[in-house]
Amino acid sequence: MATLYGYVGKIARINLTDSTVTHIPTSNYVPKYLGGRSVCNKIFWDEVGPGVKAFDPENKIIYMTGPTTATGIPTGGRTVFTGISPNSYPEQYAWSGIGGWFGAEVKFAGFDGFILEGKAPEPTYLYIEDGEINFLSARNLWGKLVHDTQRKLEEIHGNDVKSIVIGPAGENLMRNASITTSNDNVAAKAGFGAVFGSKNLKAITVRGTGTVIPADIKKILELRKKMGYPQAQPNPIHHETTHGMWGNNIPVEGGWLRGQVACSHGCNQHCNKLMLDMKSAFKEEKVNHVEKCVSIFAFGYKEDCCWVPIQTFETKQNHLLPCKMLSGEPLPPDPTDPHFKELYDLVPGDIVNFWEPNFDKGSIINDLCNEYGMDKWDVIVWLLPWLSMGKKEGVFDGIDFGMEINVESEEFIKYLMDSIVYRKTYYGNLLAEGMARAIRALGKEKFGDTIYHGRYSQVVPGLRLDLPISLETAWGHSVHWQGRGFEGAINKPGWVAVNLHQMNSTRDTQTIAHHHDTFDNYLAVKDDPCRHPLTAIAVIKGENSAEIKDSITCCDWQSPNLFWTDMEAQMFEAATGIEMTEEKLNEAAERSKLLFRAILMRNYGRDREMEVNAIYPIMTYPDPWGQTCTWEEWNDLVDLYYEERGWDKTTGWPPQEVFEKYGLHEVADSLKAIGKLPGCR
Amino acid sequence: MKDNETLIQTGRHVTQFPADVSLCAGCSSCEIVCSLLHDGVVGPSYNRIFVERGTISMIHRIYACQHCVDHPCYHACARKDQAMCLDENGIVYINEEYCIGCKRCIKACVFDPPRINYVKSSDKSKRKAKKCDLCRTRPEGPACVEFCQVRCLGISDLPDERR
Ligand code: SF4
Ligand code: SF4
Ligand code: SF4
Repeated sequence: MATLYGYVGKIARINLTDSTVTHIPTSNYVPKYLGGRSVCNKIFWDEVGPGVKAFDPENKIIYMTGPTTATGIPTGGRTVFTGISPNSYPEQYAWSGIGGWFGAEVKFAGFDGFILEGKAPEPTYLYIEDGEINFLSARNLWGKLVHDTQRKLEEIHGNDVKSIVIGPAGENLMRNASITTSNDNVAAKAGFGAVFGSKNLKAITVRGTGTVIPADIKKILELRKKMGYPQAQPNPIHHETTHGMWGNNIPVEGGWLRGQVACSHGCNQHCNKLMLDMKSAFKEEKVNHVEKCVSIFAFGYKEDCCWVPIQTFETKQNHLLPCKMLSGEPLPPDPTDPHFKELYDLVPGDIVNFWEPNFDKGSIINDLCNEYGMDKWDVIVWLLPWLSMGKKEGVFDGIDFGMEINVESEEFIKYLMDSIVYRKTYYGNLLAEGMARAIRALGKEKFGDTIYHGRYSQVVPGLRLDLPISLETAWGHSVHWQGRGFEGAINKPGWVAVNLHQMNSTRDTQTIAHHHDTFDNYLAVKDDPCRHPLTAIAVIKGENSAEIKDSITCCDWQSPNLFWTDMEAQMFEAATGIEMTEEKLNEAAERSKLLFRAILMRNYGRDREMEVNAIYPIMTYPDPWGQTCTWEEWNDLVDLYYEERGWDKTTGWPPQEVFEKYGLHEVADSLKAIGKLPGCR
Repeated sequence: MKDNETLIQTGRHVTQFPADVSLCAGCSSCEIVCSLLHDGVVGPSYNRIFVERGTISMIHRIYACQHCVDHPCYHACARKDQAMCLDENGIVYINEEYCIGCKRCIKACVFDPPRINYVKSSDKSKRKAKKCDLCRTRPEGPACVEFCQVRCLGISDLPDERR
């Protein structure tokens, strides 16, 4: 058989109920479905029908590496989980990416991925070594914190194994529980840690001594130099005196120590912050954390961070890689750019007054999330601001949380998280169901929609910006780069695009696909972004590039590069030797997106009405300029989007010919049989 | 650390700079390019430089052959001068064609962990020892040093070129 470069050739079907393993050739799916998320979508479509709930044994966690994983192509170390997400509201099929060294090791052990199905009869972990998959008792690991579990597995199997584990949050089915690598990389957004918990699966530990053979080594070395340009700088440990994001820096008494580390195998960057000697929530000794963007807000959030068009809209002369921004190494701005002034026009963020800066408390929040194994977004961006805003508006008056609500206090935060993770109190148990469900149980009108009066615009001085105390957007996730609430004074052309991404998804899209477009397009759409096809076109490009990113695989911090548009095609070719063009890669992305769409339609009845109603409410609240979006404007944009996609505008469903165009005849047939093609209604 | 490690006089070798010069990002690029360029594959048995990951501390250490002046691995080799060889610059390297995979060099390495890697294979003829040859035939010099993104690797006897 000809060498299948890039892939190692098989996917393991792991049945936890009866401890059996079977093998599926990867070539059943690739190259048509590239790898990563595309393969997961195909497997899920084939294997999991409607009616399955997230915690049912019939839910499957599908995990896939990409063809670039462990080839030395930068960012290929990122990998993907999919399954029914307990954290999405309502529960739907979702996905979650993860970095670390685990994915590469899975390939060295001889697998391109695995399908986890069933439920183990008792706490179990999987030990994979060179093609052998063993089901071992996790009785002595159950209950352990994330790092203790990692440490214990290294004690048992040697310190060269790579593990993914869940913490107590996953064991106790907290809906936003993460799966965590040894270097604090998480698959968190979808809450798949809780699905592991529901399957009695504590960890997967792997050791592999095999090889991955890429097709074109010369090309790989070239990509190593060219991607993420400029090359990273020497990386000494720095003593910092402040902490925060642009425009939101807080002084830190005595300073702190920062290093930069890579998040995954073979990456050529070091965007993750290594914070040394931080205060721990669990012990006297200081601990080291690895942190990325959202953790920053745990430390202090009186004012929003500044936003400038350059973070979303770019010119050839001035475009920044986010990885370079987080490691503090962006290229210097080029002032000869005719758009230079507008691009770097610093916009002050809002005053939000959620909490006072407090470095130690921030460290404790991050440590709690890391060790319990839970999604930081839901805690830092949603739970804590909700408590802060709700308390200031008096909605919790007369409610007994068991301790006075005080988001400024370390003790309160520890108490609160402990009662949620271990479901100790009535409110702890309720909040373990996730913010969207808890707020509905409490009464959304009072506990979700009450207006917080403490937010002020700094763009329009003195303008009060009404904001609900629950920062919820679509599908049970919190706002993120949406011009309101958290992260940045982003203006309307940016946030309508972001919300369109979000509408079409089942999870927070901006944690894996920040919206990018050219500055020329920005100028064209900026006066009326909802009525310009370029907005819809840019969102489609972004969505397709997200499919590609999660499939071949690469990282949102280096991809897409608007001015090097065949980078991912080159990555794929270098890994597999299979000829690839931008157009062909885009076709594969469309195919993957259509499969995702088909799953949502078949399993969850997704259609236009459901989508528009899920996303619209957040846009009725003002952005920092006081701008909102009308129902008509939004529906006009949705029309444009469906039109550009070739989907039916009334239902939001792709028609038969679109499925067929991308080689998905059987998918179209199945949808037709259940009356879910346009015209069937 | 083995007892006699401190007595060893080392030769020109790949070295990791201290964290105040440049902290290892833990990316494995050094391991990857090493095996890619020598063997055309990526795999933990094939690299000749090792990243020992501080999984909890996140502080990583790099291990590579020190090219000891008295090179006990070379002396221990069952196929000395065919498999384990010495070049005119004192570089201890393995001519894998002749390596019979007996592991004697690995046992003789004075360092812990030993600085020689080993390919396990069900096909015994493919079992080979692998060790750093300082990329002796590569005009650009050691690949690991060139491709370390944060430049925390260098050559031991050129301390001034660290930065
Ligand atoms: S392999 Fe070990 S003994 Fe041989 S030269 Fe290298 S460090 Fe010294
Ligand atoms: S110098 Fe060459 S052979 Fe030695 S570790 Fe580095 S890349 Fe490998
Ligand atoms: S290439 Fe450099 S930064 Fe990466 S693991 Fe090796 S020594 Fe560390």
